[in-house]
Amino acid sequence: MATFRMLVLVAFRNLFAHWVKTLFVGSIIAFGTLLLVTGTALTSSIDRAMADGVTGSLGGHLQVYSAKGKDELALFGGMFMGAEDIGRIDDYSVLRDRVEAIDGVKAVLPMGIDMATATSPGELEQALAELRTAVRDEDAEAIPGLKARIREILSKVGDELTKNAKITADAARIEEGLAIVERATSDELWSRFDEAPMEVLEYLDTKAAPFTEEGRMMYFRYVGTDLEMFPKYFDRFEVVKGEVVPPGHRGFMFNSKFYEDWVKHFVARNFDKLQSAVVAKGQRIEDDASLQARVRQMSKQYKRITYQLTPSEADALKSELTSFLGEEGALDALLEKFLAVDDTNLAERYAFFYEKIVPKIDLYDFDVGDTITLRAFTRSGFLKSVNVKIYGVFQFRGLETSDIAGGHNLVDLLTFRELYGLMTADKKKELSGIRDEIGLEDVSAADAEDALFGGDDEPVEQTVQRTEGFDEFEGIDLATERERMEAVANATFSKAQQDKGLALNAAVILDDPEQLEAVRPVLEKTLEDAGSSMKVVDWRAASGIVGQFITVVWGLLFSAIFIIFLVALVIINNSMVMATMERVTEIGTMRAIGAQRSTVLFMFLLETMVLGTLAGLVGILLGGGLIEWLGSVGIPAPNDELTFMFGGPRLYPSLGVVSLVFAFVVVFFVSLLSTIIPAFMATRIQPIMAMRAKE
Amino acid sequence: MPNIVELSSVSKTYPLGNLEVRALDDVDLAIEKGEFTTIAGPSGSGKTTLLNLVGCIDIATKGTVVVDGKSTSDLSESALTNLRLHKLGFIFQSFNLISVLNLHQNVEFPLLLQGGSTRAERDQRVRSIVDKVGLTEYLKHRPNELSGGQRQRVAIARALVTGPAIVLADEPTANLDSATGKSIIDLMKELNRVEQTTFIFSTHDPSVMAQATRIVRLVDGRIAEDGRVEVEARA
Repeated sequence: MATFRMLVLVAFRNLFAHWVKTLFVGSIIAFGTLLLVTGTALTSSIDRAMADGVTGSLGGHLQVYSAKGKDELALFGGMFMGAEDIGRIDDYSVLRDRVEAIDGVKAVLPMGIDMATATSPGELEQALAELRTAVRDEDAEAIPGLKARIREILSKVGDELTKNAKITADAARIEEGLAIVERATSDELWSRFDEAPMEVLEYLDTKAAPFTEEGRMMYFRYVGTDLEMFPKYFDRFEVVKGEVVPPGHRGFMFNSKFYEDWVKHFVARNFDKLQSAVVAKGQRIEDDASLQARVRQMSKQYKRITYQLTPSEADALKSELTSFLGEEGALDALLEKFLAVDDTNLAERYAFFYEKIVPKIDLYDFDVGDTITLRAFTRSGFLKSVNVKIYGVFQFRGLETSDIAGGHNLVDLLTFRELYGLMTADKKKELSGIRDEIGLEDVSAADAEDALFGGDDEPVEQTVQRTEGFDEFEGIDLATERERMEAVANATFSKAQQDKGLALNAAVILDDPEQLEAVRPVLEKTLEDAGSSMKVVDWRAASGIVGQFITVVWGLLFSAIFIIFLVALVIINNSMVMATMERVTEIGTMRAIGAQRSTVLFMFLLETMVLGTLAGLVGILLGGGLIEWLGSVGIPAPNDELTFMFGGPRLYPSLGVVSLVFAFVVVFFVSLLSTIIPAFMATRIQPIMAMRAKE
Repeated sequence: MPNIVELSSVSKTYPLGNLEVRALDDVDLAIEKGEFTTIAGPSGSGKTTLLNLVGCIDIATKGTVVVDGKSTSDLSESALTNLRLHKLGFIFQSFNLISVLNLHQNVEFPLLLQGGSTRAERDQRVRSIVDKVGLTEYLKHRPNELSGGQRQRVAIARALVTGPAIVLADEPTANLDSATGKSIIDLMKELNRVEQTTFIFSTHDPSVMAQATRIVRLVDGRIAEDGRVEVEARA
C-alpha cells in the first residue's frame, strides 16, 4: 500500500515535472471526453425526445404489421411518398385480442395510413353552399347578398369565357358555357329561385360550377384509426379547433399544420409566411428573392378575395382601402396595390388584412362542420370518393411546426376502409344489385375487348343527350341522392364493427416504455404461435427514414469519437515513448536498486491512468456543464427535420449516468491502451543503464 | 572473514559489430565481508564491468560469480532483482537520484520496494541514515536543490538504508571536486567501519585509491595488482 502511494506520488510528480507534455496529452484526453460526454448526451437526448414525440403522436411503442407487404412501415414517410405496400391485417379484432392479452401491453390501436386528395370548393361552389345553408336556415337577411354575389361571380365567369373564346380550340364547349352562364345570370332563373330555390341551386351546382375556376386540389396523408382511443393514448394529441370525432361516428380531423399550410386562404397563408419570415426570423423582403416572389404571387391573387365578397362588402372594403392607401381606384387595383407589401408596410398591412379583410372572407377552404370529399385510389385502382364531416383541427403538442408530424390528418377507420377499397357486405350487395340491374356479366380477360368496345353498336351519345337542357335533371332526384350520401356520412357504427375488419398496422402502447425490449419478443412469439405472419418493429424503425436518422447520428458520433481517440492513442503513445526514452537512467536506477519489472510497468500505467482520470474528469465536468447549460436554455431546432427529432421546437438535453460511465470507461481504456507499448518498453530497460549515465 | 564475493575464471565479452570486446578476461577475485576495496585502473580496463557483475546487473560470459553465497548465473532475473534489493546498495557516478522525489522519499524508496515495514520503522531508518550522512536539515529538499556532494550523500544514504551486505560505487567522486570527493570517501569509510558494510568502489583518482584498505588494479580486463593495506598500520 505504501509502495502504491509512493508510485502514485511519483506519477503525480512526473506529470507535474513534465507539465507541457501533461497539458498537451491532458487536453487531448479532456477534449475527447468532452466530445464523448456531450455527444452521447445529445444523441441520447435526441433519441429520448424523438421517442417521446414519435410514441406520443402516432407511433406507440411498437408497431405490428403484416410480414407479407413489400415495403417497410414508415409512419412519417419513407423512400416512396405514400406508395408503400405494407400488406394488411385482414381482421384487426383477432390481432387486437391476441396483443391485448399480453402482459405489459396497455392498448392496441388499429391504423391505416394512406394518401388521399380533396379539392377545395371553387368560389362559386362555396357561395352556392352558403346560399344553400341560408335557404335551409331560412336566413332571409343573407339570401339577397349571396344571390347578388353569385350573379356577380357568374358574370365574371362569363367575361372570362368570352376572353377564352378567342384562344380556345374547343369552341363548342365555350359556347355551351356561355349559354349556361347567360341563363344562370338571367332574371328568369333568379325569379324561379324564389319558388324552387333548391332546384336552381342544383342547376347551378351541376351546370354552371364546372365552368368556374376549380378549387385547389390537396394531396395529403391521412391516418384511419380508432378516434375514440387515439386522443387517450397519444398524449401529444390536442384539439385546436372543433372537437374530436364522437365515438362511433365517421369524421375527419385536420392536422393544424396542414390546415394552416394548405387549407387556409391563399392570401392569408402568404401573409402569414411573410410575417413570420420578416418578424420572427428577421429576414428582409428587400434582400430575399424568394420573399419577393411570394409578394408578387400574392398581389396577383386579389381575385381570391374579391370573389368572396358580396357587393356591399366590396363597397365597404373599397372605401376602407381608399382611406388606408390614400388613393382612389377600382377595388381590384386597390387590392393588388395593397397586397404588394414591402418591409416598411408589412406589419401595418398584415394587421389591416386580419382586421378588415378576413372577416369578409372565408379564412379556410374547409371549416369545422363542413363536409369534405376525400378521394383516393383503391388498391384495385378505382378512384373512390367518400364524403366525411370535418369535426375539428388537432395538433401534436411540441411538433406543431414540424412538416413531418404535421402532414397526418385523421379519419375514422371505416372511412379509411372505404377509401382503401375494401368492400363492406352492404357495398357488395349494392354492387351485385347494380350488376343485375344493368345485366353486367362477368367478363373474362379474353373477351374483355369485345365486351367493352365491340358487340352491338349501342350509341354512346344516349347518355350525353340526357345532360342537355334545363329540365333534364328533374328526372334524377338529386336531393334524395344528397340525402343518401348524408345518411351514409352520419351513420354510426359500434366498436365491434370498427374493429372487425381491415387495418394496415396496429400501434401497441406499453405500460412501461422501458419494457419495450422485454415485451417485443413475447409479442413476436404470441403472433408466431398463433400462425399469423406479422412483423413487430419498434417506434424507431416504424417511423421511417427520419427515425432511422438517429441510427446514422449514433454511427457518425461513434466514428468521430473513435477517430479522436485513435489520434489521442497515437499521440499519448508517442509522448509516453519519448518520456520513456528520457527516463532511461531513472528507470535503470530503479531497476538496479531492486525494482521489479512489474513495478516499472505498473508505475507507467499508473501515470497515464492518473492523467487519464484527471483529464477525463475535466472533460466530464466541462461536458457535463455544457449539457447542463444547454439543458436549461434548450437548443432551438433550426429546421423542420430537427424539430421532429427534438420532439419539439427546442431540445433540452440531459446528462445520463450511462453517458458518464461510458465516457469514463472509454477514457480509462484508451489511456491504458496507449501506454502499454511505452510501459513494456520501460520494463525492457536494463539496470545496467543506470551505470551508463555519466555527466 | 568469509568471502562475500567470489569470482572464479570470470570473463565478460561484449559484441561490438562483428568484433568481440573482452572487457574482463579470466578474473579470479574474492572479497571478504567488511572490506573497503577499490577497483583501480585506466578507462576501459574493465572496472565498471567488474562492478556490474558483482552488482548482479550483468551476467558473466564465462566463469562464476558468487554473491552472498549465490551464483548469479543460476538466478532468474527476478531473483537477481531481489538479491540487489536486499543485499546490495548502489552509488552511481551521476548520483542517479529520482528527480521528482525529495531527499526523504529518495532514501525511503528501497525500503518501500522491500515492503513489509511500517511507516514509523521506515521513518526511523531514513532519519538515522540521513543523520549519518549529515543531511537532516535537507529532508524535504529535492535533488535539484542540493549540491553535487550533498546529492552523493543522499545516494549513499539510499544505498545503505536497507542495510545491504555490499555497497558498490562506480567512480563515486568523478563528478565532484577533490575536497568534496574526499569527504565522500571519508564518509564511506566511516560507514564501512561503523556498519561493517563491504564497500567496493572504482576510481582512477590516486588520492581516493589511497583511502582503500585493498586495491585491485585492472589492466586490459585482467588483475594486474591486488594488495591489502593494513588499516592499523596506516593509522
